[in-house]
Amino acid sequence: MKRWQKWTVAAVVVLAAVGGSRAAGWWGTSPSDDKSALNYGLGAEIQTLDISKSTDQYSNTILGNTESNLLRVNSKGDPAPDLAKSYSVSSDGLTYTVQLRSGLKWSDGSALTAKDFVYTWQRIADPKTASQYSYLTSGVKNADDIVAGKKPVSDLGVKADGNTLTFTLEKPMPQFKYLLSFTQFAPQKESFVKEKGSKYGTTAANQIYSGPYKLEGWNGTNNKFKIVKNDDYWNAKNVKTKTINWQVIKNPETAIKLYKEGKLDRASITGSPEMYAANKNNKDMKTVSVAASTYLEYNQAKNPYLQNEKIREALNLATNRKELASQATGGSRDAAKSLVSNNLVKAANGEDLSTYVAPGYSYDKDKAKQLFAEGIKEVNKGKMNVTLETDADVPVSKNTVDYLKQAWESTFGDQISVTEKIVPFKQRLQDSQNGNFDIVVSNWNGDYQDGSTFYDMFKATDTGMNNGQFKNQDYIDAVTKAESTDANNPSARDADWKAAEAALKNSANINPLYSWKGAYLTRSNVKGVVTSPAGLTLDLTNAYRK
Amino acid sequence: MAKYILKRVLILVVTLWIVVTATFFLMQILPGTPYNNPHLSASAIAQLNETYGLDKPVVVQYFDYLINLLHGDLGTSYQYQNQSVSMLIGQRLPVSAQLGLQALVVGILLGLWFGAVSAKNQNKKMDGFLGIISTLGISVPSFILAIVLLYVFGYDLGWLPVSGWGDSFSETILPTLALAVGPAATTTRFVRSEMIDVLHSDYIQLARAKGLTGTQLIRKHAYRNSMIPILTLIGPMVANLLTGSTLVENIFSIPGIGQQFVSSIPTKDYPVIMGTTIVYAAMLMICILITDILTAIVDPRVRLK
Repeated sequence: MKRWQKWTVAAVVVLAAVGGSRAAGWWGTSPSDDKSALNYGLGAEIQTLDISKSTDQYSNTILGNTESNLLRVNSKGDPAPDLAKSYSVSSDGLTYTVQLRSGLKWSDGSALTAKDFVYTWQRIADPKTASQYSYLTSGVKNADDIVAGKKPVSDLGVKADGNTLTFTLEKPMPQFKYLLSFTQFAPQKESFVKEKGSKYGTTAANQIYSGPYKLEGWNGTNNKFKIVKNDDYWNAKNVKTKTINWQVIKNPETAIKLYKEGKLDRASITGSPEMYAANKNNKDMKTVSVAASTYLEYNQAKNPYLQNEKIREALNLATNRKELASQATGGSRDAAKSLVSNNLVKAANGEDLSTYVAPGYSYDKDKAKQLFAEGIKEVNKGKMNVTLETDADVPVSKNTVDYLKQAWESTFGDQISVTEKIVPFKQRLQDSQNGNFDIVVSNWNGDYQDGSTFYDMFKATDTGMNNGQFKNQDYIDAVTKAESTDANNPSARDADWKAAEAALKNSANINPLYSWKGAYLTRSNVKGVVTSPAGLTLDLTNAYRK
Repeated sequence: MAKYILKRVLILVVTLWIVVTATFFLMQILPGTPYNNPHLSASAIAQLNETYGLDKPVVVQYFDYLINLLHGDLGTSYQYQNQSVSMLIGQRLPVSAQLGLQALVVGILLGLWFGAVSAKNQNKKMDGFLGIISTLGISVPSFILAIVLLYVFGYDLGWLPVSGWGDSFSETILPTLALAVGPAATTTRFVRSEMIDVLHSDYIQLARAKGLTGTQLIRKHAYRNSMIPILTLIGPMVANLLTGSTLVENIFSIPGIGQQFVSSIPTKDYPVIMGTTIVYAAMLMICILITDILTAIVDPRVRLK
């Protein structure tokens, strides 16, 4: 054999060896009727299993199904006891007392105690942890000072006594029960976190689990892993599925393809307007509500045109939300009625909160023209040149700014010139935070199913979300009332939210565009899946294949 | 030879330092925030900056980074909380290496074959056909090809898996092919022109005069001398495969280093951007160094200075 032939053979052998080692399941399997396993896709990699530091919905989905908290949101949207046996709220709404179930265990068999809850609350508030969600502890006694580094974590109003946990709040927070179901506040075992040190949460083995499943096969970077039934979970007898396989699929088209091949049990179709149009009539299509709103923020600190209320109102009136939702998003979003997203939570009178508080945003081209002309005259700087910024990461965003540019320029003629600025998400975020924009398309994904997750955004100029930097006293008064005197009175609180929405609309501080929804192809033989608009959006605790 | 290698390694270190410095300062002008949560107030951001050392002057941050780097510490990712950059890269590198190696082997084997066929049929129909194919192969970028392959074999015909890595060999076929076409086309062109030269050389004429037939001639005499320039190609080819694989990995959801590199930039994950750039740069320079040494060993006409 000549030398080059030897090389060729060697190369072929190497190729065959490398490939052969992976050839175990040559063509894969067809799993859509395997009753012991379910199959789901994640839109991006798991970033971390560090409970206090997770910020993305994908890590959150895995954590939420493998870790439990005191409460777990049920199919009706109510937080119901999970690791807690029961809980009670004092009549002033300031003290939550929680009884833990007895005999709770971690997935390594060790005892799960009330101290693990105290530790998790202290850890997320501790500035040394550098959690991006530390603000969620706000409202618990001393939390703000601890987060700011002014008090030690031991001062936090979360205390353990035997099997009893006591939460002391600084103000009544009706939404607090949702926080008790939050993944970021799931228990953490101090000795385990300390032992793992900088490796904590970096692989499946560097975390222990308190939830219905435990994660296996995630080495920190791979794209395929599974969650398997956790026999140490208190309610393991009601967990019917042994294995749930996950794979990271970044391309939504690919997920739909895998769904149609039976390899996934769920695939989102809201990736783009075209995808939505192509799949919305599929018999497996199901919509779920999502606690997210998209709205425009007007820079009222720096832009003289946008400081003028008439101009802002004119821009709002020249926005046809129904047409925007149907044309720019292809129906994959619903027209906004208010700042709060549609189907977030029911108001005390049984109506959907977004309907109850709706201040009546409308489309009126003639009035818009008249107000705009008046506003331009008042500002007295000539034609309005304005940039409209959005991030390129959500496909409908570009369509949205295209639509708005066209709508405004056709309404106001040569008095306005709109420049589109489409940038990566992180740049948009930085521009928003630095006030480096004229008008920006903002999205807010609510933290929990309560109006305050939306209304807290604009109650001050330093909330981190008030990028337009406006101060609307009527709004602030209404929100303050809802969070103090009316906190324990649901219908009065709803009325306050309604007043807050009206104040926002009257001053045209923002421009609500559309409310998000989830639309998925969903396998009909998979039962028991719980979806929520906020928090843990996909809960597979009781999911099984029939 | 030893002196030559030492000199090259020193140059490599200096080049790496330049790459580190350039990347570090370019990164500073990249717009965007490294944090994910839009709900961070100015004071919360200031606190996070302090924790990550981003509040220090850029020059101080730069020297901190250099000192850590000399200790072999690439830092901790911002995006993948708690994950050390060396682990992120260390686990992803073998995936990219396997993909690159498969593509290289497939590409070179195809190229050797097509090149020889082309040369043997010089100026005939087959030569023209392969010429068109290889020109296309060189000019169409691998990520375009990846999408075409994905569409045809994954979606339309449904023969091969459309995404994933690690479960079966079939998952690696499409990305390997997408990446192999470039090297195959380049190799084809080189082998063809080299072999045409060789086929006109005196010793081949002599072999022909001795009565050897076409196939024997090519296999026993022409190939070996046509192989030498291919060796010099492998270095840059590995470079192309590595950088080309960034987008291909993204398209097929392959957990390789390229995917990490691509996602670290828009998310402003500083330590990961730095780490992957350094690893890429080091690998490219090492590949080229090895190629140079190999060429000298194979071809005594080349002298290393």
